[in-house]
Amino acid sequence: MNWIAAALVLILLVSLPFVLMKFGKIGEYWVWVSTEMIIMGLFAMSLNLILGFGGMVSFGHAAFFGVGAYTVALLMKKASVPFYLALAAAPLVAAIAATIIGWFCVRLIGLYFSILTLAFGQLLYMIVFQWYTFTGGDDGIHGIPRPEILTPTNYYLLCLLIFVMCFMLMRMIVNSSFGLTIRTVRENMERSKFIGINVRSYQWLNFIIAGAFAGLSGGLFAELNRFAQTEFLHWSKSAEPILASLVGGMYSLVGPAIGAAVLMFLKIILQQAHKALIETWAIVLGCILLLVVLFAPSGLVGIYRKVFSKSE
Amino acid sequence: MKVGLSKTALRLLLLILTLGLISGASVSTAQETIKIGFVADISGVGATFYKGQKAAIDLFIEELNSSGGILGRKMELFVRDAQLKPDIGATMARELVLSEKCDFLIGGTSSAVALAITKVAHEFKKIVYFHTSNGEALTTTDFQPYMFQVVPNTGIEGRGIALALSKKPYKNYAFIGPDYAYGHSQYESFKTDLTKLKPDVQMLEAVWVKLGETNYSPYIPTLMAKNPEIVYSNFWGGQLSSLIKQAKPYGLFKKATLTSMYDLDLLRTTGADMPEGMLGYTRCPFYAIDTPTMKEFVKKYLDKYKEYPSDWACMAYDGMVVLVTAIKKANTIDSDQLVKTIEGMHFPSLRGDRYIRAEDHMANVGLYVGTTVKDPNYKDFLIMGQVEEIPAEKVWLSVEEIQKLRSKSK
Amino acid sequence: MTFEYFVFMLLNGLSQGMLLFIIASGLSLVFGVLRVINFAHGSLYMIGAYLAYSLSATLTDGSMLSFLALLVAVPPAVAILGFVVEVTLFRRVYREEHLLQLLLTYSLVLILDDVVRVIWGGDPRNVARPDLLAGSVDIMGLALPTYNVFILVIGPVIALGLWLLLYKTRTGNIIRAAVSFPDTLGALGVNVSRVMTATFMLGCWLAGLGGVLVAALASVDLGIGMEKIIESFAVVVIGGLGSVGGALLGSLIIGVGITFFQLPFGRWALVFPYLVMAAVLIIRPWGLFGKPER
Repeated sequence: MNWIAAALVLILLVSLPFVLMKFGKIGEYWVWVSTEMIIMGLFAMSLNLILGFGGMVSFGHAAFFGVGAYTVALLMKKASVPFYLALAAAPLVAAIAATIIGWFCVRLIGLYFSILTLAFGQLLYMIVFQWYTFTGGDDGIHGIPRPEILTPTNYYLLCLLIFVMCFMLMRMIVNSSFGLTIRTVRENMERSKFIGINVRSYQWLNFIIAGAFAGLSGGLFAELNRFAQTEFLHWSKSAEPILASLVGGMYSLVGPAIGAAVLMFLKIILQQAHKALIETWAIVLGCILLLVVLFAPSGLVGIYRKVFSKSE
Repeated sequence: MKVGLSKTALRLLLLILTLGLISGASVSTAQETIKIGFVADISGVGATFYKGQKAAIDLFIEELNSSGGILGRKMELFVRDAQLKPDIGATMARELVLSEKCDFLIGGTSSAVALAITKVAHEFKKIVYFHTSNGEALTTTDFQPYMFQVVPNTGIEGRGIALALSKKPYKNYAFIGPDYAYGHSQYESFKTDLTKLKPDVQMLEAVWVKLGETNYSPYIPTLMAKNPEIVYSNFWGGQLSSLIKQAKPYGLFKKATLTSMYDLDLLRTTGADMPEGMLGYTRCPFYAIDTPTMKEFVKKYLDKYKEYPSDWACMAYDGMVVLVTAIKKANTIDSDQLVKTIEGMHFPSLRGDRYIRAEDHMANVGLYVGTTVKDPNYKDFLIMGQVEEIPAEKVWLSVEEIQKLRSKSK
Repeated sequence: MTFEYFVFMLLNGLSQGMLLFIIASGLSLVFGVLRVINFAHGSLYMIGAYLAYSLSATLTDGSMLSFLALLVAVPPAVAILGFVVEVTLFRRVYREEHLLQLLLTYSLVLILDDVVRVIWGGDPRNVARPDLLAGSVDIMGLALPTYNVFILVIGPVIALGLWLLLYKTRTGNIIRAAVSFPDTLGALGVNVSRVMTATFMLGCWLAGLGGVLVAALASVDLGIGMEKIIESFAVVVIGGLGSVGGALLGSLIIGVGITFFQLPFGRWALVFPYLVMAAVLIIRPWGLFGKPER
């Protein structure tokens, strides 16, 4: 049953662009949007490794997203490295950044951890912003080359493939003894320490893994837009996967990805729905989020579970 | 748990898909209008620019449609908010082209967003014009043929003001400006050109302030410390207004003149806090342009909106003029044919007769330089008097320089 | 650098810090009692500034009296808005996770910022300084704006007022107790939710006051809330979450720090607040004046 459903979803997702392309230009647009949804979904899922499973709220996750994006942009634009190599470098460089930042951050817990991630995120943002000669400042790096073969459909499929691979990988991580330990730490840090778990190393490693996945999603995003920009590291970008996790539900693996897709969908559909909404869509989005907080704190997945009262 | 999850995923995805298709299908009616997609910066500090831009474009389209449209078709405007963020701008531009099926694009206020939009326009071969964001890169290193610019770009602006200042007696300069790409690139070209034209000029100090900062108490004393005769600033909008308001009690204007962009929105916002006798420049001041088209436009704008059109409004309007002139001339909305028509085309700009240079699609729009004065016709704000236009031809990059820049970036 | 110039720069930096203090102290107080990081604090500050603009447009005479009227009328108006928000929304999430509270304040930012745009439009707005504060005073041969002197006076007055309120009144004792021992307070028969509402209103009052002060200092536009919230946040972290004294010290460190660091480092001075914030968190995570949480 489980596998059948998963296979169905997969078939649906793979055939999606081919179906959409039948609708002409509108279809092509939705292929773009779907690609972006997949990438932002991966970004949200990567955050959720530390947020939902690790119980640590990071306000600086966009730093790694941005590092990944800039890695791809700089390697391809300045060193003419081919796309696939540059993309492979993105998670590595992001992991290095996460190793350094994480080393400091996991020393703190709770709110203090959150704030330190914010401080480092903003620090990195400022550096990219100010370092004109290397990063192009806030103009960013434009005109990242695109391999001929990557038509919108093919790029969608590539992103989907990477997404699925990452999903499997994350599932393995979450269900491994490492993942179980991380969850134990989330539930009770004191007890974990007593039974001899080196809490910090586990959290540090988890932070690095999450950073690497975020870097990969950032790299994909840079190639999608064909530019890298300082906004990618800004704290408001860090807020996006947090919102996505909350909307989708953070105690499941796919929840955040669904949340990211839904939020992006809302943003687009609200502006399409009515002319008056173009200037006031943020109010509507804010109200929807308010409703989620007040009435559905466990997110969409939570609503679904309630409605269909699935046994856990 | 696992069973629940994949089912959830399935159902939600189906829901998203159906919604997406429905919404996609519902907008694909009425192909008879010519659709213009405006990727505007509506949020935050973009709002004030947007107001004038949108008002002028609306006015233009309303006029055009009431006189029967063009090619027998009416025009329709679609607006999206890029929020001053390039990635959102690119997404919105793509949406306007693909989902709303727009035939043309209009850029917004931020030059970073403009760079992103011009790429999308190129990708889909849709003509886009820029009227307020004025990065020179759009016409040089990041040039693509489906773009034209009707605002004096950073190069024209920087070299233009340098030319005007080189004729004045000032030697000791100081600079204060916003710490981001526009601020730096504009200052660099200003400095290079000024020292080339007038080698004895001294740049005593350059103060960079965070974008969006409102409190200048730490910076104004630094700026004044070396006693410059003239302060040059490329702040704009609310930040420039804040600077003027705060610099006054420090006595800056008693010791030095402040040269900056005094566009209508700024003059209106600053109101009585604006000192007289400041040497400034602007991109398209309605009060100083004595053409019949401008007079008529101001009258109509005033009637409809009960206020004078800002520089941004005039320039956004001019872009529409170029577009419609070209469509009339080419008798088609095909992008490739229009590009050919636009190259070298003259058009009846609000600023008089202007043309689009074929090589870089830059309109020969110059910079307006003047000195702030009180004028009995305008009670609530100062305007610039003795305005003279520095023609674009005097200061824009030569075709050879542009080609050199382009080949270097490749 | 001459001594005169040093003092002059110091005064400028302090006035920058004092304004920051007024905004950040509200954020800190609200955090201390409600345990919520209120991202919407910046929006409330912006609303204060726009209200000041609207009121000043109706008063029009530009006298000191009308400016005082702004200072008296606007902060309570923002506090009343805070009352509504606290009672209808915040109260529902005190028992929830931090994350949900953050999401609540974040959605408030989205809503309030756009509501401001709908009401006041996007143009930058300007509140004229009263004649009495429009000039400048002579500090050892250098002109310091009277308005900066005014802020230099009003900052310590507010700090003193807060100190008296927190340490010399019964209400203050309860608020401080709510910071340190939130659980025991209810058991002692204190109406905790009323304390929370009152504190939230006080925080909003301070945001509103900051709004009035900045409206006459600079131009008001839609970006000012976002611009100040992260900076105030840094101040609160440096000083210690919930500590008003810490907010004062943090504000002065950042205000004076930026003023002096821009001399040798130019634009890299902007990295300064984040560097201090990171350093404080690494060395002393609970802030300079805060207490370590167990």
